[in-house]
Amino acid sequence: MEKTKSPEESRKLLDKITFDLTRSIVKRDELTHFWYFILIMFAGVGLWGWGIQIRDGLGVTGMRDYVSWGMYIANFVFFVAISLIGFLISSSLHLLKIKWSHPISRVAEQVAIAGVALAGIIIVNDMGRPDRFLNVFLHGRFASPIIWDVTVVTTYLTISVLLYYIPLIPDLALIRDRGGDDIPKWKMQVYKILALGWNGNAEQYKLVYHAMRVLMILIIPVGLSIHTVTSWLFAATLRSGWDTTIFGPYFVAGAFVAGAAAVVILMYAYRVRYKLGEYFENLHFDYMGKLLVFVCLVYLYFNINEFWVPAYKMKTAEGIHLRNLFVGSFAPMFWWTQMTGLIIPIFLMLFKFFRKPLPLAIISVFILIASWLKRYIIVIPTLEHPFLPVQNVPEHFKHYSPTSIEIMITIFSFAAALLIITVLAKMFPVITIWEYAEEKGVNKEILSEPKK
Amino acid sequence: MKIKLLFAALFFLAQQGMAQEWLVPDDQKNVQNPSEYNLDNVKKGKEIYLRDCKSCHGDPGKNNGLPLVPPPPDFTSDIMQANTDGELFYKITHGRGGMPQFETTISEDDRWRLVNYIRNFNPENEPVLVEEPPKKAKILASVNEEARQVEVFAEYQDKDSNYVVLAETPISIGAKKAFGTLPIGQVLTNEEGRAEYHIPESLIGDEQGMVTLVIDLGEGFITDDVVLDAAKVGQPKPTPKLIQKDVLWSTNENIQVWLLLSYLAAVLGAWGTIGYVVFQIFKISRAGKKQ
Repeated sequence: MEKTKSPEESRKLLDKITFDLTRSIVKRDELTHFWYFILIMFAGVGLWGWGIQIRDGLGVTGMRDYVSWGMYIANFVFFVAISLIGFLISSSLHLLKIKWSHPISRVAEQVAIAGVALAGIIIVNDMGRPDRFLNVFLHGRFASPIIWDVTVVTTYLTISVLLYYIPLIPDLALIRDRGGDDIPKWKMQVYKILALGWNGNAEQYKLVYHAMRVLMILIIPVGLSIHTVTSWLFAATLRSGWDTTIFGPYFVAGAFVAGAAAVVILMYAYRVRYKLGEYFENLHFDYMGKLLVFVCLVYLYFNINEFWVPAYKMKTAEGIHLRNLFVGSFAPMFWWTQMTGLIIPIFLMLFKFFRKPLPLAIISVFILIASWLKRYIIVIPTLEHPFLPVQNVPEHFKHYSPTSIEIMITIFSFAAALLIITVLAKMFPVITIWEYAEEKGVNKEILSEPKK
Repeated sequence: MKIKLLFAALFFLAQQGMAQEWLVPDDQKNVQNPSEYNLDNVKKGKEIYLRDCKSCHGDPGKNNGLPLVPPPPDFTSDIMQANTDGELFYKITHGRGGMPQFETTISEDDRWRLVNYIRNFNPENEPVLVEEPPKKAKILASVNEEARQVEVFAEYQDKDSNYVVLAETPISIGAKKAFGTLPIGQVLTNEEGRAEYHIPESLIGDEQGMVTLVIDLGEGFITDDVVLDAAKVGQPKPTPKLIQKDVLWSTNENIQVWLLLSYLAAVLGAWGTIGYVVFQIFKISRAGKKQ
C-alpha cells in the first residue's frame, strides 16, 4: 500500500481511477454492437441446433452405444476447468496476501462465473430428455459422483456469484455517487438498487471484509471438490485411460493452466479495448506469465506421471489406448496439445520478452485451444475401446466424430460464455475500484464522499 | 484386417477341399469294423449322427447338407458309400479342410458305430433301422405340485385313424429356460399309455421357484408339445444381490451411512456458510441506514 495521500490528491486520483474504470460501462461504439451481434447470432444458431436435437433426439449427435460421451462432456470438463481460476486468483492468492493479483481478481471471477454457468448448461444440452432434469435431484443416488458433481457445480456457481458481488457493493455505491453523467440512466438505477444503501461506514466495511474472507475460505474446499469430483466421473470407472488414481490433482492442475490462460486473454482484451494499460500493467502480465509457467510445470509433471507409468507397463487394454494416443489416430491431437499447450509455452515464457502483454496473450490463446483439445482426448479415445469385444456393429458405433449439431451447440456454449463475460464487463467495472484506490493511498472517507 | 484373414482362411480351406483325392493310407484302408452291424449299434450311431454330423450333412437321403465348398455329401450318396469302412473311419477320425476331426470328441467305438449307421443306407446291406413315417400323436399332461410329479397320458393315431394308447414310448420332460428348453429327464409310458415323472429336487426355477415344463414325444411322432406354465416345482433362483453388499456405489436404500452423512455434512456446511454470507449482505444493507 502506498502512503496515504492528501485529500486533494486523493480526490483527483479517485476521479481519474473512476473515470478510467467506468470507461467499459460508458463506451458504446459500433464495435460493441458488432460484438454483441456476433455473440447473440452464434448463440442463437447454437440454440436452434439444440432445438433440432430436442425434436429429433440425441441421434443427431455423433454419440452412439460405445462412445456415449462426446464433445459436450469435453466442453463440460473444459468449462469446469477454466472456472477454477476464480478460486486460485481471487481466493488463494488473496488469502496469501499477494498484492499484485488484486486487480485481476474480478477478471478471474468473471471467468469463473461464465465457466461454471456454462458447465451446468452444457450438461443439460447433453441430456436426451432435458425435461427430466429435475429427476437428477429428485431421484439422485447419493453414492454417485454424478450427484456430487451436480451439487458442487451449483454450490461453486453460488459462491462465485457472491464472491463477485460482495466486493462490488462499495464500487456500485461509488459509481452511484461519483459516476459521470454519460452512464445510462437505467444502469445508474441498477447500481442504486444493488449498492444496498451503502454509505461506507466502518461497520459496513467490516462486514464486507468478513463476508469476503468467509467466502474465500469456503471456496477453497468447494473449488478443489468441483474439479476433483468431475475427475471422479471418469476415474470411478474401470476404463483404461480413466482408471487412474491421480485424476483429481491432474484435473485441478490442468484447470489452473486453462483458467490462467483465459484470464490473460481477458486482461489483454480489457487492456487494449478499455485503455487500461495503467491498471493491467506489464508487471501483471509478467507475474501471470510466471504463474502460468508454474502451473504448466505442475501439469506437465502430472502428465508425465499419467502417461509414463502405464506406458512403461503397457497392460493389454491400457496399451491399446496409449498406442492410439502416441502413434495412432489421436496422435496428432495428442502431440499438438502436449507441445503447444505445455512444452513450447513453458519454454517460451521463461524469457521476459514472451511475458509481455501481446506475446503472452498469443501464447495463452494456444494454451486455451490446447486445453480444450486435451479435454477432448481425455473423453473420447477411452470410450472408443470398450471392454467387451465389439462384434457385428455398424462401423460408426466404433468411432466418434462430432456432428454439425454438436459443433453448433459447442459454439453456442462459447458464445454464451463470452456473452456473460461481456455483459459483466459492460455492466460493472472490471477492476475493484475501492480496493485499487485504497492501495494507491486514497483514504476510505474520500471514497464515500458524494460528488461535488 | 479380420476380414482379410477370414478370406485367407476360406481360400486355404477351399484349396484343401478342392484337391480331389482324399488319400487314406493303405494300412488304414482295409481295417475291419470291429463293431457289429446290428440295430443297437446303428441306433447309437444315429444318435451321434444327429448330434455331430447332421448340422452339415443334413438329413440322410434328402441331399440338404450345408452349401459348403466342397459340399458335405449325403450319407446315402454314392460318393459316401464308395468308401471302405476303414476309409470312412479314417476320414471321420482325422477330418480334412472343412470336415473337422472327431478323434478327440467321439470315442473310437462310437466312430465305428457311426460307420455302421452310414452302412445302414448302403443298397447292398439290408437296413436294420427302418425309419417309419411319423405318426400323429396326442399328449395330455398335468403337474402335481405337492408330489412334484408330472403325469402324462399319450395316444397315437393308428392306420385306421383311431387313437390308441401309446405304450412303452419315451417321453421327454424339459424345463423352459431363457435360451431354449433344458432337458431334465425321460420316462417310458406303461401299457396304458401313462407315465409319471418325478421332478428332481435340484431343479431351479425362477425367483419364486416357478418352472415352465415342456412335455415332448421323441422323433417319429407329430404332436404339439405340452407346455405346463409356471408350476411351482423348482428351487427359487438365487439372485446375486451385488448392490446389497458393502459397496460404495450402492443405491440409496443400501447406502453406507458414513458416506451419506459425509455428503450431507459437506452440503449443509457449504450452504449453511452461503446462507451466513447472504445474511451478512442483509446486515450491510441495514448498517447503511444507520448514520
